Amino acid sequence: MNAIIISAIWGVLLMFSGAFLKNKSIPKYLALFGAVLALSSTCLEMKTGHSFFSFPVFDMIKTDAFNLLFIDVIFFIMVIYFLLNADEISKVGQHVAEYYALIFFILSGIAIAATFNTLLMLFIGIEIISIPLYILTGSDKRNLKSNEAALKYFLMGAFSTGIMLMGIALVYGGNPNASFYIDKIDMGHGQMPVFIAMGLVFMLVSMSFKVSAAPFHFWTPDVYDGAPTVFTSFMSTVVKAAGFFAFLRLFENAFGSMHNQWQTMVAWITFATLMIGNITAVFQQSVKRMLAYSSIAQAGFMMLAVFALNVKAKEGILLYTAAYSLATIGIFGVLSKMQDYTIDGFNGLGKTKPLMALAATIFLLSLTGIPLTAGFQSKFFLLISAVENGNHIWLVIAAVLFAAISAYYYFRIIQAMYFKSPESEEQIVYPVSIGHTFMLLVIATLILVIGIYPELVIGWMYR
Amino acid sequence: MNISTIVFLLLSLMAVGSALMMIISKNPVHSVLWLILVFFAISGHYILLNAQFLAVVNIIVYAGAIMVLFLFVVMLMNLNADTEPIKNYRMQLVGICTGGTLLLLLVLITNRMDVEQLVETNAGNAGLIKNLGMVLFKQYVLPFEISSVLFLSAMIGAVVIGRKEEPIDQNPNS
Repeated sequence: MNAIIISAIWGVLLMFSGAFLKNKSIPKYLALFGAVLALSSTCLEMKTGHSFFSFPVFDMIKTDAFNLLFIDVIFFIMVIYFLLNADEISKVGQHVAEYYALIFFILSGIAIAATFNTLLMLFIGIEIISIPLYILTGSDKRNLKSNEAALKYFLMGAFSTGIMLMGIALVYGGNPNASFYIDKIDMGHGQMPVFIAMGLVFMLVSMSFKVSAAPFHFWTPDVYDGAPTVFTSFMSTVVKAAGFFAFLRLFENAFGSMHNQWQTMVAWITFATLMIGNITAVFQQSVKRMLAYSSIAQAGFMMLAVFALNVKAKEGILLYTAAYSLATIGIFGVLSKMQDYTIDGFNGLGKTKPLMALAATIFLLSLTGIPLTAGFQSKFFLLISAVENGNHIWLVIAAVLFAAISAYYYFRIIQAMYFKSPESEEQIVYPVSIGHTFMLLVIATLILVIGIYPELVIGWMYR
Repeated sequence: MNISTIVFLLLSLMAVGSALMMIISKNPVHSVLWLILVFFAISGHYILLNAQFLAVVNIIVYAGAIMVLFLFVVMLMNLNADTEPIKNYRMQLVGICTGGTLLLLLVLITNRMDVEQLVETNAGNAGLIKNLGMVLFKQYVLPFEISSVLFLSAMIGAVVIGRKEEPIDQNPNS
């Protein structure tokens, strides 16, 4: 509750700061302060169990240790994101304060999507996440690719929203309790009512679209490639994790009792996502596009949580959010400084910028899932959860195989950085400030710390 | 036959008549204007059914916003006989089929209608603005207020996307 209201207010505040303050650097400090404020107030809410804002919400949203911890993780990542990317955001265009305002609105939507208890709030949360994202995608107006990506994203996103509404309508209509509350959906006994089953499929499709799971992933490469790099790093990490959290929450609380009936469907979606993401990423030459496909591949891993739906899956999705977001924000932070976005552009980075290359190596190792990094722990937790679930063991084997394939395209960048020399003597990176390198190293350290001691993240759930 | 029945009949006549005129009139702008009249008549029906809020919203949204949009499109498209698409035989057949099905359904429904009570007006109070407000600001206050964030972000988006970018002299790639 704190996070929802504080980030909504902060968005309005930032909007006005753009209109009335001439100083262009104020929004970035304001945004950083807002993220810290939301983080600390959510921590406080977790500790005391009360929100600052108490008005009757009629159980429209429900908070518990799990989703408050998720919001905490999100805002912690956002603090790091703002620290790392403040300069990049102000380079995108002229409406800097508005970009920050939109980001805070999205964060408010994320907090709703993490705590919703009715289908109504789910819909509003998902929409508040989506609409500002369309705008952020198209914010680089001089770039044709950005315009194309925004239009594509908007049209397809609008369709998927329509499908989700159709699903909500069917679930509501087929529900004898006539309630939007997700715990009051009558799932029948042994046999799912036909309208609810139809609604479930519609919602599965639209949620899969929002988290870019195959076969609803076609927008992802174009949109992630076209959007300004800073915003790609935002929407492929925090926003995607929030989508998965909403997905998990919906399917656990609303449709959990019929898990067996829809599990096979989710298993095939997971398999397709892993396969398409990993196999296609192998052939990419542009690192940005490769990371877009890798984000589809990582989405496949996160789908395992929806597939398994047990305690380990919840712990896993938290860890995965932290690990994947940190590593991806880091690698995008490196990428945004490169002159050339192709893999050859990384040639010789290990010699010219050894610290940056070291950080990038750790990010890539974490994305692959090499032990001692957070990526390993999170993948491990999700695989354990799928094994504990017991059905469809072939999916676990496939996931491990695809993780091995992913090593190929991640390691290609490492190889380029250390074992190849640049083709020309020209500078391959834009000037990098000490602060930027320092932040990259901080993120790399965090990844290692979480990788060695994952209790640091998930332990809060049981405190 | 009391006064509300007479009003109902007048409104119905107005709705059906304007709807027919909308289809018949050759000039697309006239069609749009007739359609606005249809919306007004339907809003009158809503008021008779004690749905005040719906009546007002119907006028604001349909007659106000959507019809103005239609008018803009019609005027900007510069429709005349030259640009008229060639009428396809198959399309006409499909139109007859779908329209005929609708007509059949309507006839079936009117056959089963209770003729004794042709008009029921002034019944129920779910649509009164007071009751609607009570629900909206008590039970649904959270979604109601939160959706303002959604609209605000859409407005900011319109500004960000729509405002002209001032030319800057630095390298756009940096």
